[in-house]
Amino acid sequence: MKLSNMMYFFREASKSLSRNRLLSFATITTVAVCILILGMAVLLTLNASRFINRLESDVQMIAFLDKTLTKAEINEVRAEIEKIEGIKSIKFISRDQSLAELQETYGSEYDLKATLGKNPLPHTFEIEAQNPQEVPKIAKQVDKIVGVYKVNYGQGIVERLFQVTHWVRIISVAFIIVLAAGAVFLIATTTRLSVFARRKEIYLMKLIGATDWFIRWPFFIEGIFLGVAGSLLAVGLLALGYGALLQNITSMAIINLVSDMTLLGKVYLSLVAAGAVLGVLGTYISLNRFLDV
Amino acid sequence: MLVQFYNVSKIYPNGVKALDDISLKIDRGEFLFLMGPSGAGKSSLIKMLFREELPTRGQIFVASRSIVRMKRSEVPKLRRNMGIVFQDFKLLENKTVAENIAFAMKVVGASNRDIRQRVPEVINMVGLKGKEDCLPTELSGGEQQRVGIARALANRPLMLIADEPTGNLDMETSLEIMELLYDINRKGTTVIMATHARELVKQAHRRIIMLEHGRIVNDTPHGESLS
Repeated sequence: MKLSNMMYFFREASKSLSRNRLLSFATITTVAVCILILGMAVLLTLNASRFINRLESDVQMIAFLDKTLTKAEINEVRAEIEKIEGIKSIKFISRDQSLAELQETYGSEYDLKATLGKNPLPHTFEIEAQNPQEVPKIAKQVDKIVGVYKVNYGQGIVERLFQVTHWVRIISVAFIIVLAAGAVFLIATTTRLSVFARRKEIYLMKLIGATDWFIRWPFFIEGIFLGVAGSLLAVGLLALGYGALLQNITSMAIINLVSDMTLLGKVYLSLVAAGAVLGVLGTYISLNRFLDV
Repeated sequence: MLVQFYNVSKIYPNGVKALDDISLKIDRGEFLFLMGPSGAGKSSLIKMLFREELPTRGQIFVASRSIVRMKRSEVPKLRRNMGIVFQDFKLLENKTVAENIAFAMKVVGASNRDIRQRVPEVINMVGLKGKEDCLPTELSGGEQQRVGIARALANRPLMLIADEPTGNLDMETSLEIMELLYDINRKGTTVIMATHARELVKQAHRRIIMLEHGRIVNDTPHGESLS
């Protein structure tokens, strides 16, 4: 692209912006509202998925071993388990250790060992999967290994948890897509006014032999400018609001919001980029009808 | 051969038959009038030359290129061979005379140097020297059409297409505009002009194609049919 053309595009865009100040303001406001809602949805999804990830990563299985196993046999079982694909970590907990842990929960007043006579607990392996979703499948494989008496992972509840998280993910992505589509439509409607005001000029350019891209560029630059201006406004408000929320809520231990600044920075930056994309997409849609000459 | 129409018909989606089996040839350097009552198909024919409309049936070649088979992306190149003059001038109100002409060059990617050189040239050619910095609203109808013609000439087109260029002008001004068009034609540009104005055409002794109900009813090389 020639530099003189590039300068022409920018000049045309800035002329149009200053000529239609009210319309520009309306578009910026529209973009700001759209990005603000979109941003809230993204932050909500982000926090929800963080919550879901934590729930899911808590899912682990415990393999109870037959009581008669010798040390060598236990090692064999361990080797068998390690062969299974998708295992992240495996930790041996001896029956004595388990009893000690149990004793701890009962407190020192109550002597478990004395009451039970001998330790009734089996040796166990605590197994973590690389992908929590795989736990039920891996558990089945572990269960088949000779020497494993039983595998526990919260059967039933875990499957239902995964079902719920699966749908939460789908719904939140769909929600964001619907919001973005709505934003494009809204922006297309406002930019259509500015395109419509210049339809004669566009028609003339087409008949003189201007290419579609030559006509589009000034409008795109205008769209990017309006999109970025609107989304900057929205991101500013969003950052302020979320920042205040973070400060007031961190004292509550149960609710653990995403506060990683690099991640939030990425989200904010993406929202500004989304504003620019929405601006371009909106002008593209409203312009195309007038380019069909 | 600059323009060739082969059995061209145009039927609009509402069922109106604008052109009915038209075949014609236009040579380089010709001056051609398209005549006929309103609704005879003059505008449809003109619009097909620069591919604003496509024929429903038939083939059209401009400078040996098929307009029907042409890709959308090739249309700008086709139009750069043509200068189009409109009945309502279609000048940009917020631009001066010189800027209107420069605009037409700019949108086809002419360099600033070319523009600086060419704009005064065409302004001279149409006799508007001294009016470069006027806005269209400060000009008479005839002067505005001169700007329209200057704009059409700016990119050195092979042909000038004028759809009722004198439709909004009085007789005297119309004759002046005609003189300008003849002059342009003499310098080698093909001119195709659609018009109602029998008086203008009568004195011209140029080729006349008469259209009625979308058909060519008469095609005379020197305008004999009217005299």
